[in-house]
Amino acid sequence: MTDHQTVSIIMIEDDEGHARLIEKNIRRAGILNEIQHFTDGTSALEYLFNADKGPGRGGPALVLLDLNLPDMGGIDILARIKGSDGPLKRTPVVVLTTTDDKVEIQRCYDLGCNVYITKPVNYESFAQAIRQLGLFLSVIQVPDAEGHG
Amino acid sequence: MYRRLLPGFSVSEGRMGRFLVTCMALGFFALIVAGVAAAWSTAQNERHTADVGHTYQVEIAINRARVLIEQSETARRGFLLTSDTAYLQSYRTVMAALPAAIGRIATLTADNPGQQSKVSTLRRQIADLEQHRERTISLSVRGDQSAALVQFQQETSIRRMRTVRAVADALIKEEQRLLAIRDAAQQASVRIFYIALICAGLLLVLVAIITLVTLLRYTRELATSRDALRDFADTLEDLVEERTADLSRANEEIQRFAYIVSHDLRSPLVNVMGFTAELEAATGTIGELIDRAEERAPELVTEDVRFAAREDLPEAIRFIRTSTQKMDRLINAILKLSRQGRRVIAAEQLDMTTLVDGIGASLTQQMEQRGTTLTVEQPLPDLFSDRLAIEQIFSNLIENAVKYLDPKRPGRIVVRGKRDGKRIRYEIEDNGRGIAPSDHSRVFDLFRRSGTQDQPGEGIGLAHVRALAYRLGGVIDVASELGHGATFHLTLPATYAEPKTDTRGRLR
Repeated sequence: MTDHQTVSIIMIEDDEGHARLIEKNIRRAGILNEIQHFTDGTSALEYLFNADKGPGRGGPALVLLDLNLPDMGGIDILARIKGSDGPLKRTPVVVLTTTDDKVEIQRCYDLGCNVYITKPVNYESFAQAIRQLGLFLSVIQVPDAEGHG
Repeated sequence: MYRRLLPGFSVSEGRMGRFLVTCMALGFFALIVAGVAAAWSTAQNERHTADVGHTYQVEIAINRARVLIEQSETARRGFLLTSDTAYLQSYRTVMAALPAAIGRIATLTADNPGQQSKVSTLRRQIADLEQHRERTISLSVRGDQSAALVQFQQETSIRRMRTVRAVADALIKEEQRLLAIRDAAQQASVRIFYIALICAGLLLVLVAIITLVTLLRYTRELATSRDALRDFADTLEDLVEERTADLSRANEEIQRFAYIVSHDLRSPLVNVMGFTAELEAATGTIGELIDRAEERAPELVTEDVRFAAREDLPEAIRFIRTSTQKMDRLINAILKLSRQGRRVIAAEQLDMTTLVDGIGASLTQQMEQRGTTLTVEQPLPDLFSDRLAIEQIFSNLIENAVKYLDPKRPGRIVVRGKRDGKRIRYEIEDNGRGIAPSDHSRVFDLFRRSGTQDQPGEGIGLAHVRALAYRLGGVIDVASELGHGATFHLTLPATYAEPKTDTRGRLR
């Protein structure tokens, strides 16, 4: 894990409660990476593309994306990330949402989403999923931006 | 309702029929009048002919009497002059025939008192005449020829003869006068006959014209209304299609709404459940703390604190959990329903008998437990529609029938169908516990149930069935009475048609 200390988790989630629960469970899994939280799409995109240390400038990152956002659809954000040139394109995106519509899931994968997780109302299984995601994060290889200068 | 939609179809057949019958009655009346007039006229004519014949008979009889009188006179004179008995013989013969001739006149004119009095005058005159003649003849027979001649010269027989002739003439004249009157009457009757005939003819022609015109107009009106009816039938079909499209659009709208709402409801629910779990974990920690405190410093733990940590908190959390779980089930139900509406319909040819039998087979165990039979009335019309949706509709309805049976009698479920134009009307009938009429529309609402709540369920089945029926362009309703079973009427298009306007939106 110490190898990937620099990988920051970018969570785009408008519901503070969900964000808190996700964060709690990630921490419970022992993941100590920095978590950047955005509650709307615009500021999230701004950060993703333009921030100094953001993934758009080569900072290794992982995106947790909710599809229901107040200002724009999560699908649009996914399309922007995966449709861009440069390192952002290779940033892993985990879609985490309440929508469990098959068509919707397919669409996300078509757009290049890496993992799709449905938020179940059953909290135990949700917490379990997030913790497993945390474990997953501890072994995942996030592309190194420098490698593609 | 149709009558209201068809203002042009008010051709009153009753009025029309009455009018035609009246016309026909008038026509027959005219014919009868003509017939009666003809009969009457013929009768008149016959009577007239008989009258004419009678007049001639009277005339002949009078003339015969006159001839006899003249002949007898001639014979007498010949006897007086020649004393030849042959003349006397002839005279006697003629005179013997005379009373019969007079009697004939009297018989023929028996109905006319004027003529009768003339006949009796004639008789008197003839009797007078005969008396005189007998006197001269008896003188001559005795050989007193000269006395007879003297007597003959003195007698006024020539005057009497003239009187007799005048009376006979008067008789004939009277008869001719009567004949003239009868002729006039005959002519009048013929005139009346012709007038009646003309009137009847005119009436007939008039009735014929009116009837013909009316029939023509009626036929034209019938043709017009038939065309209008055909147009209306076409319009009706469009109307039904339009309504169905409206229905499925409204249905889609509601399902989209339900989808969004259920999703947005789910979000806070995730929080409620998540933080409840957190709370529960925290309660556990606090409980441990209290346990430890009780052990080491019992004076810190009051009854209130213990009660709050051991009873109040877990109880509150338990209630929150059961409520959120229930809410989750409901939201999932709505989601399932709305997802059904978003599914792409794949229509195919469906063998309904096999389909219903299959559903029956899947419910065999439940049905055997409850002593229920499922009958499929043949022929059951087939459909070209979505297999999954149809299966779900029928299995929900049949399952409900099995579920809500009346325990007092063995269950009997009948499935039948009838084609009605482009649509098929299915009936799923049971003899179960029935649904109170006040609940008929309610049972199709989401989360609403009817009757005793002794069966598991969320009140989703029929809402689901109705949503599916709408989706396929159909409708469903129920006829039932509490305690007397229920019959669900499901009307579906025989061939599923894609709605003309697809308003299904994209997901968020």
